[in-house]
Amino acid sequence: MASSSASTAAPAAPNSLSLPPSQFARLQPHAYLLAHLSPPSSSNQPSIRANGRAPSQFRVTSANAGSLTHTNGSAVVRLGDTTAVCGVRAEILHTDDIASWSVSQSTNANKRRRIGESEKETEAKDEEDRAHIEDLNLLVPNISLSTGCAPGFIPSAPPSALAQSLSHQILSLLHTSRLVQAEDLRIWYQPPNLGPEEAQQHNDEEQMDLDAGANEEETKPAEIKAFWVLYIDIMLISLAGNPFDAAWASVLAALRDTKLPKAWWDVDNESILCSDDVKESQKLSLRGLPISSSFCVFEADAAAGWRAVVIPDAEEQKVQDSKHGSQQQKWILADPDGYEEGLVQERVYLVVDKEEGKTVIVKMEKLGGWTVDSEDLRQLVDISAQRWDEMKRILDQC
Amino acid sequence: MVGLTASLSNLSRSDGSASYKCPATGYDLLGAVNAPIELPARRDALKPEEATVEVFVKPGNTTAGVGERYVEGILRSVLSKVVLGRERGFPRRGVVITLAIVGGETLDRGDSYLTILPALLHTSLLALLSAAVPLSMTFSATLVGVNKSGAIITDLSAADAKAAASLHVLAFSSKNHLLLNQSEGRFDFDTWEQVRDRALSICKDMTTPGPDGDIAMGDEADSSRPEGFVRETVEDRLYKDYSWKIDSI
Repeated sequence: MASSSASTAAPAAPNSLSLPPSQFARLQPHAYLLAHLSPPSSSNQPSIRANGRAPSQFRVTSANAGSLTHTNGSAVVRLGDTTAVCGVRAEILHTDDIASWSVSQSTNANKRRRIGESEKETEAKDEEDRAHIEDLNLLVPNISLSTGCAPGFIPSAPPSALAQSLSHQILSLLHTSRLVQAEDLRIWYQPPNLGPEEAQQHNDEEQMDLDAGANEEETKPAEIKAFWVLYIDIMLISLAGNPFDAAWASVLAALRDTKLPKAWWDVDNESILCSDDVKESQKLSLRGLPISSSFCVFEADAAAGWRAVVIPDAEEQKVQDSKHGSQQQKWILADPDGYEEGLVQERVYLVVDKEEGKTVIVKMEKLGGWTVDSEDLRQLVDISAQRWDEMKRILDQC
Repeated sequence: MVGLTASLSNLSRSDGSASYKCPATGYDLLGAVNAPIELPARRDALKPEEATVEVFVKPGNTTAGVGERYVEGILRSVLSKVVLGRERGFPRRGVVITLAIVGGETLDRGDSYLTILPALLHTSLLALLSAAVPLSMTFSATLVGVNKSGAIITDLSAADAKAAASLHVLAFSSKNHLLLNQSEGRFDFDTWEQVRDRALSICKDMTTPGPDGDIAMGDEADSSRPEGFVRETVEDRLYKDYSWKIDSI
């Protein structure tokens, strides 16, 4: 049993049976990490993870933006030994090519006419923004793990279940955080006012002065001619645990770096033209800065998961934990590396943002176990808020 | 969580099965469990001392996509903690759970899976019970939303879920542990704690004063609570299966 071998093997290592630490780590991974986290009280060593980090310490993070020249925006983010490259490519989607476009536009226009109040108008506008990005699929993230990033992933194999679920997580986080504003992705066209009425008014100057206000109302409404579709491709070129944090940070850095060229509808050509002048291109204006931080829970008792009879009630467990006090039962490890990920089942994923100094949770996910509850989660939110400051500094510098 | 309906062992060829209907969201699910079975690709290298839990989610009208892969991962992580994969006959074998979405709103690419998650969890639990797979505990799950004015709403329909500021799916074990939490949307931690308390009182048979001061009675509300609902469904099935014995007494 792993827990009993932990007590015998740890003190024996320096004496008669001498095993190099690297071998011990492979033979008894659980006991190895446990021995690091709960050193004997006589040794006076601090509780530290096998990789030398404190439980709530993240790995050294670096970000580099704009390294790929053929993309609209790109970034490389390194989180310890996990490295993600992200490139954002923009393509034009003509509204003529959207099958349901004319139908959905006219119903939306009707809705807007019916709703007069300003409060509801903003709500309708929000809804329209959401519909444009989500229903027209203007954001297309894809993550690729089959690059030989880790021994478990065979290069040029079909996307693994992990890669697929990561793609979905990134897409749904892009949708729920509403990071990209729909307005940035629209290409508008303002039809000129060339009606016969206008010509008349030009002749009669007096009338024009009088009806200046009315004339403005008559101008034809601007129409959307096309959308930018952002293809967000992420490649993990090295995977040593915690792929989601690295992938999301690279998406964030790449989107902050993305520049869209100035585009307009050319009536004579009946097509969209883009300016090749870099000065005229515009950066995306992102909503907030949601930063993700992942945690895993390492349990002292490796067999805790399957001893059916001894699982106590949640309340009893709290009492027991306070009794044990000195003998810690679980450790919450921030930013787990590959070695630690293999030893845990319970995971916590948090995505937080800060608005005027206040922490806002964008996503909170906890699964795979029953030891973490509200008290732990509150602490983790605080740790994530600190991480937000750190990541903001790193992303601002890149 | 009003008016949930379910029945057990509808399919004859699988080891256990359950059909489940949630009127609020309109989802209609069919789940089948085969356990323990020999897996074609044995994963001895990973964890030979435990059974492998495999979950497949099949949407009603399309092939499974990335969203299904994601929700399969969530279900697998919850269920593999609950299934006692080291009981006799289980190590090195597989527990295969197949969930088909028979009716209800279709989920498009990138849509949130939270609305259907409680239904998927309940269906898989009932199917596992029907297959008599050893479990360390049962659980119950619920979907809770917070609307734009900050009020907590329960029994969400698909339209309510779209309009909500944040959505939360929480699953509690029969011993009150928080087994699963999935939250999306913008919210702060104090709101989440309120949501947690509310979800716990929905899932459990607890007498809690409602917002208007009245108290939901434990016995009356029994079948409307997911926890009691699971128990009643299993009891109904047992009465049916043992009717020959019960009648003869």
